[in-house]
Amino acid sequence: MNLEHYHYFNSHDYRAYEFYSEGPKGRITKLVLFTKVPDTEPPFYNLAFGDKNPLTGELDDKVKSNNSDRDIVLATVANTIVEFCHHYDDPYIYAEGSTPVRTRLYQMGITGLWDEISAAFDVFGLYNDQWYKFRPNSVNYEAFLLKRR
Amino acid sequence: MPAIVKNTTKGFGHGIVSSEVKNHDNDPFVVKKVEKAKETIRRVGFPEIKKK
Repeated sequence: MNLEHYHYFNSHDYRAYEFYSEGPKGRITKLVLFTKVPDTEPPFYNLAFGDKNPLTGELDDKVKSNNSDRDIVLATVANTIVEFCHHYDDPYIYAEGSTPVRTRLYQMGITGLWDEISAAFDVFGLYNDQWYKFRPNSVNYEAFLLKRR
Repeated sequence: MPAIVKNTTKGFGHGIVSSEVKNHDNDPFVVKKVEKAKETIRRVGFPEIKKK
């Protein structure tokens, strides 16, 4: 990934990542979390992404922070995915927004970074209970699966 | 209005390991998302990845 991205911090087990979005709304802490989904074969991880609630410290993926740095934020998330894959033997990664609008934002993010992502990952979109190879600017997918080649 | 200074870089760079970054596996929101992911994969399975 050769795109501008934020520096980030990660947990000792490389499954939780934090970075600061800087923009007109100030400094907002972002979280990217990879959580193993139990009892599945092959193993896969759920990706959750959003703002860190300053009061609870928990992830809130319903906030729309609009900090005028979307591309940098998405490139940072992409970097955390690469880092996670380095440490976890390239498992499937599942991503779905908490709402259809949020999932659409994920899709726009993948589309925006498509040249970089498609060079290293197989990406699938879920549509009507079927997985399809992800195609930018096609249908509105309901969820995504990524696997590094 | 003060200038916005972004702490960014280019190219792939590793993160900084920090004990301040906590595990969130038991956050209610995360638990709910994991359950939903599991339910979806149980229903539709995994896609076929063709070997070259």
